[in-house]
Amino acid sequence: MSSFDRSASPSSSSRLAVAGSSGGSLRPGDGAVLSGRTLVRVICTGGSGALEYTHAFVSAYAADHLRGAVAPRLSVGAYELLSNALNFGSISSDIVIELIESETMIGVRVSNEAIAARVSMLTEHLLKLKTNAEQTFLEELRRSVTGGIPRPMLGLARVAHEAGLALDLQVVERRITMTAQCRR
Amino acid sequence: MSQFTAVQVPKAETVVISLTAPNQVKLSGTITQKDPAHDLAGLFKALHTAAMADKLAEVRADVSGLTFVNSSAIRLFVDWATWVKNERGHRYTLRFVTSRNVTWQKTSFMALMSLAKEVLAIEHVT
Repeated sequence: MSSFDRSASPSSSSRLAVAGSSGGSLRPGDGAVLSGRTLVRVICTGGSGALEYTHAFVSAYAADHLRGAVAPRLSVGAYELLSNALNFGSISSDIVIELIESETMIGVRVSNEAIAARVSMLTEHLLKLKTNAEQTFLEELRRSVTGGIPRPMLGLARVAHEAGLALDLQVVERRITMTAQCRR
Repeated sequence: MSQFTAVQVPKAETVVISLTAPNQVKLSGTITQKDPAHDLAGLFKALHTAAMADKLAEVRADVSGLTFVNSSAIRLFVDWATWVKNERGHRYTLRFVTSRNVTWQKTSFMALMSLAKEVLAIEHVT
């Protein structure tokens, strides 16, 4: 399966996958939709201050249950994905964060409702990350100094470049699901 | 008298901050709060201002014990480097003391070097 798959319309039902920038070449299954066993599922109220303690819990679980190198990578993914959902998602619907493992992959999945403009912004950003995660990270770092519109999106760039996680965005109507995954 | 060592260090929940020499600040722990600028932006600005007043040649920021930071915290380090870079006349070298074992430090400071290499130095302790 290709690591990149995008439908014509991001606002109805679409999918965009971006492979992480580190960890070697792609293998079958990398960047695919992650389905498997849910290890942890936490439901947060949209707009709540659940970021720090939820991240602490998910990270602690990952550190306790997963091999050493994977847990810190998922911790970065969990933080940045949940932070985005809490900051930019709808406050009228719940946010769900899950740790999921399949035979070969492990990942963190966050879903929330968002407006169409946010979906378009995410789609564009993931395309840039797919092209060159390191360069995008550097650009976002630079933009964090100079500012600009849209505001810098360093978090997802970290997930792809620093943590080397493959990002996948699925959109069904207003519900968006972002997955960051790597091989177990 | 050193203005650098007279800077008031804020108490933060998850990060321990200490001034360990007339030109050195050490941070350890994690930075996970939503808006770390609330605690740290003022500190970094005060340290920068004090370093300029003391005409220091180098400031060492030991972050090797910072095991996790969020992207908002990374922006604060970028800001600090930018303040030094934008100084006219005397300016100091901002030396980040880092750990090779902490991934965010490798990627972030390597990228930061490319933005402000004329005022930055990176030192690895592990």
